[in-house]
Amino acid sequence: MSKDQTTEATEIDSFTRNVLAHGLSRRSFFSRTAAGAAGIGAISLAGSTAEAATRPNVDYGISSDGAASLSFLPRPQPIAEADIKETLTFDVVIVGAGAAGVPAALSAAENGATVAVIQKHPTPVSQGNTGTGIDLATSDKAGVEALVSKLMVDNNHRSNPALLREWAYNSGEAVRWIIDRAKPAGAQVVDQGSGPQGDIRKVNGYTLNYVTSFFGPKPYTTGDGIRVLAQVAQKAGVKFYFRMPAAQLVQNAAGQVQGVIAKGPDGKYTRFMARKGVVLAAGDYQNNKAMCDYFIPDQKNFGRKMMDRTGDGFVMAYWAGGVIEPIGHTKMLHDFDAGPATMCDMPFLVVNRDGKRFINESVEMSLINNYLRDEKNAGHYCQVFDADYMSTAAKWPGMLFPPEKLKNYMPEEPGPKLGVFPSLTNTWKADTLEELARKLEVNVPNFVATVKRYNEMAAAKADTEFGKAPQWLAPIVKAPFYGIHRRLRLTTVCSGMLVDSKHRALDADGKPIPGLYIIGNMAAGFYGGVDYPLTVFGLSLGRCYTFGYLTGRYLAKL
Amino acid sequence: MRPTTFQGAAFAAALALALATFFAAPALAQDTLGKPDGALGKVHAAEGYKCTKCHTTAKKTDPVPQETCLACHGDGDSKKLAASTAKVKPVNPHENRHYGTEADCGLCHKQHQASVNYCADCHPRFDFKVK
Repeated sequence: MSKDQTTEATEIDSFTRNVLAHGLSRRSFFSRTAAGAAGIGAISLAGSTAEAATRPNVDYGISSDGAASLSFLPRPQPIAEADIKETLTFDVVIVGAGAAGVPAALSAAENGATVAVIQKHPTPVSQGNTGTGIDLATSDKAGVEALVSKLMVDNNHRSNPALLREWAYNSGEAVRWIIDRAKPAGAQVVDQGSGPQGDIRKVNGYTLNYVTSFFGPKPYTTGDGIRVLAQVAQKAGVKFYFRMPAAQLVQNAAGQVQGVIAKGPDGKYTRFMARKGVVLAAGDYQNNKAMCDYFIPDQKNFGRKMMDRTGDGFVMAYWAGGVIEPIGHTKMLHDFDAGPATMCDMPFLVVNRDGKRFINESVEMSLINNYLRDEKNAGHYCQVFDADYMSTAAKWPGMLFPPEKLKNYMPEEPGPKLGVFPSLTNTWKADTLEELARKLEVNVPNFVATVKRYNEMAAAKADTEFGKAPQWLAPIVKAPFYGIHRRLRLTTVCSGMLVDSKHRALDADGKPIPGLYIIGNMAAGFYGGVDYPLTVFGLSLGRCYTFGYLTGRYLAKL
Repeated sequence: MRPTTFQGAAFAAALALALATFFAAPALAQDTLGKPDGALGKVHAAEGYKCTKCHTTAKKTDPVPQETCLACHGDGDSKKLAASTAKVKPVNPHENRHYGTEADCGLCHKQHQASVNYCADCHPRFDFKVK
């Protein structure tokens, strides 16, 4: 190692250093090949699944140990000049019209830039309801830092604190800006303030307050809100190009990213040149099977909530010299529609498809997927309680829905379903345990035996199976019996391309790739744990809004 | 550039060729003009349409843009097509919150294999009969 490199390595933070050392990049291959070129060839032959999926005459990205060629990282094929029907030039070109891309576009336009957004879908797309920031004016500085530290813990200590701070110190302003732009344009959005953030209004004794934007209630979501915001952006001069998937980046010999080539619905290409920068806000890769099998292999059996998230942005960024976070990406699996969201973390009896207990039910919904990765359960589980739940669970964490309101989540009950996606409601009521088990699609005799055993432990005030606290052992004895059949599916993968705190894509030396910015769920460093933490309700959208807002402004002012 | 030996690449090419021959050849034999091998393709063929009606480009493996479908089904306007199924319950499949009226027709309506209900994976109670 030369003296220069040593000096530089000491300037790089520990998060970035780790991703550079263990992530995937083109450089990781070059630097490791010398160690065992012969061995690589042999392993590659043995790795037949990757090999069979690859095409001859195409270069592929390689695993971080240099041993496997990765079918999901094909080098973009050159596009003939004759196939490019036109070239358009803007200050900023954004790939992806979602919760990060649309705010970035509007923010850049408001700060004087000319902006194009190219989007694979026919419309802007986003999801969820809540996006959150910290109200700095009414929060203790020590509280902001305490929350950042808490997020580090909840991210299993594997995120980049610089990025968390970037959110913490700018998010209140950004989320308020989103509301201020979307609401007058007709979006159904309110600021819920600190209301939904009960657990984190005090952290380590310090006070925090929040700006909590809520686009809803369902079926209205942030998707609808982002579509309104896109209209605002359009009025501010942003040009949107729909059904135009980006095919590849334009990069000069010096490595500077100068634009994007995208394919229109007519099959013809358009070259979008960017004077100031290209922003990739292209989302995750949950619908790219090979990529999922590699980075999140334990997600094979879970359904996907989104469509067309094929990781195109990753391929472009990788071949431009970017670095992908190593295996073990953070993911998000929730079900807020089967039954009330406020009851998802209440420690009712929980059974799997065999009708058996499998956890201490104080495990939060956001983590339960880790117990249900097999083909049979595939994310399905049921919360079960009896007719007395309004009294037996009255003091539990969360908020109970009384029987009359629970009907809103029951497919068998007539009438409209409000504040929820009707087709995903999945709460059931029955007069016998056997009937309930059938409705919940769980093994009937096992379920009856499980309840009997659970009631015995409740009577003895000792959970000898999983050690759950005795106050959460409510017996299931009185009809009607209730069950919420939750189905965890993958909402998003939220790990990805290495960036610095200005959202500049970094190369394998830890240096910014000129002209390339990455925001939203495809950027690295903001999470890092096994699962997305529900510490701050609305952190995910809050981060997307904030980094879009900041990056658009930053680029416009370059 | 790539960590494959020459033999590795050759093996992959040979395997690909072998697979292509094994699977593609019988398909090609059946999929001749006027005799497509799939569900809706058969319907189109029975009505007298040739492959080139949809596959207008040189290579018949080129994907058919949905404008081609819409040219006949909806006078070239996806909103018009969606209006024709406005009363389908529980929801109009041609106007949805994911794609508006511009969902790719081929997500459900397959020409050369059985059609599928693309909605049902996520929405089990959207039990559309897809033609």
